[in-house]
Amino acid sequence: MKKLFIIFGVLSFLFLMRPIIANTMQSQNSANSQTISLQKTSIDQNSEDHGAYNGLLKFYHYTGFANATSGNLLMILIGIIFIYLAIKFDYEPLLLIPIGTGIIIGNIPFVAGNQTGIYETGSVLNYLYFGVVKGVYPPLIFLGIGAMTDFSSLIANPKLMLLGAAAQIGVFGTFLGALYLGFRLPEAGAIGIIGGADGPTAIFLSSKLANGVNVLADGTTVKNLIGPIAIAAYSYMALVPVIQPPLMRLLISKKDRKIRMKPPRAVSKKEKMIFPIVALLLTTFISPSALPLLGMLFLGNLLKESGRTERLAETARTKLIDIVTILLGVTVGASTQADIFITKDSMMIFALGALSFVIATMGGLIFAKFMNLFLKGDDKINPLIGAAGVSAVPDSARVVHTEGLKSDPNNYLLMHAMAPNVSGVIGSAIAAGILLSFLG
Amino acid sequence: MNLILSINRISEGYLILTTGLSIVFSALLLLVLFFKYGLPLLLYSYKMITKKRVAQIEKQPVNNNEEFTGEIAAAISTAIHLYLNDNHDNENAVLTIKQARKMYSPWSSKFYTVHSRL
Repeated sequence: MKKLFIIFGVLSFLFLMRPIIANTMQSQNSANSQTISLQKTSIDQNSEDHGAYNGLLKFYHYTGFANATSGNLLMILIGIIFIYLAIKFDYEPLLLIPIGTGIIIGNIPFVAGNQTGIYETGSVLNYLYFGVVKGVYPPLIFLGIGAMTDFSSLIANPKLMLLGAAAQIGVFGTFLGALYLGFRLPEAGAIGIIGGADGPTAIFLSSKLANGVNVLADGTTVKNLIGPIAIAAYSYMALVPVIQPPLMRLLISKKDRKIRMKPPRAVSKKEKMIFPIVALLLTTFISPSALPLLGMLFLGNLLKESGRTERLAETARTKLIDIVTILLGVTVGASTQADIFITKDSMMIFALGALSFVIATMGGLIFAKFMNLFLKGDDKINPLIGAAGVSAVPDSARVVHTEGLKSDPNNYLLMHAMAPNVSGVIGSAIAAGILLSFLG
Repeated sequence: MNLILSINRISEGYLILTTGLSIVFSALLLLVLFFKYGLPLLLYSYKMITKKRVAQIEKQPVNNNEEFTGEIAAAISTAIHLYLNDNHDNENAVLTIKQARKMYSPWSSKFYTVHSRL
């Protein structure tokens, strides 16, 4: 309690000092005013006071109180909202808590030039941010995802893979929208990948295309959009339970929502082992630019399925992915430094991000209905699972499952929805590779 | 090259949209086809190849040990069964719990730093 009083006392002292210091600053500037200059000389006379006063002034100028801008305060508020959402509503807490804290860290006002900020060369945050800028973290996350994912539902029912491809229309639709809003091609490509609903892929592509370093053919440098894109991707991923259900109800009739799918067949161990190798070969031969992502994804899966490297798989899906998630979350959050983040572009990216999720979900749902036209009897699929084609593993599959249960309390869609969900991950990585090879 | 550069950005966007989407679809379609038709074929052929080898192994005569009778096997398995199920002696069910001395020292204790009153 005593300490609390001391802290409160110091803080209120600093606040009280603020107008006094501001006054003296003015007095130094306006030397014409006689009365104030008298005050000034009286201060000058007392040299001891002067030294202490200057030190205090200097200290004050180094504090956050002197350097705070409304942008900083707004971003700190957003960071707190992220943390609140994560704790209160359990929206992707593993991501939103590090990102929310990162936003607060990145927006603590500071004096530039002391190697403090994330954008200042040599600062600790800058070194950690290296993993984002150079696209190191996303493949490591993919390694962990691979070691976690069970592809058996996909192997049992391969046609569901197409739903993952259909949802990628969100990527390309947003890409086009960004072009119409005046973004240049590489920037639009990076923004488009928000529609892939995959945080690591979005960071990977934006670090390659919209990194503020690349020079375009006309001599201009692309904008650095990594922060806004990552924040948009992760925020909308957390909001999947809010965005998707209304679209599902809008597009899928009550009757269709009740369709029961036959349980997937048992998949042998051999098939599970062959899957990562074959999928790696096929997908990366088609889209080699996605190699860092897909290579790591399937490596992780092979570690899991080989049955011989359980130790490595265990590390990849627990400790490694946890470490990288912490670093990624904090640095991406901290990259939202107000003076760089609060721009018109960021607002447009957020609008486009919401649109991309809508387009991707609708693409998946409509394609699922379209597929049903060709399927008969038992083979018919429940169109709701099309919504899981946007990656956002495993949230969108879970949303599909709960929506299915609302229509029919005995219809369990989770296993079926996991198939388009994981193929969405593969699809968005391929889409990222394609955009990279076209625009990189 | 100049011609390509002069193409409108939007039209280039449409070009990327159509080609990109079709590539994504074709990549995943290829995977679908492989896992629908290719993999069963692969597994079937693997089965056919290994079947011969398995048959060869089966053909090898098994040398029966005349001395190892069913009775000996029964005796061994009974012994193992008894051993596994009766691994522990009957221990005393009464527990005596002694209070252990707390092993922390106050110099690094948070309790003392928070509540220190001088």
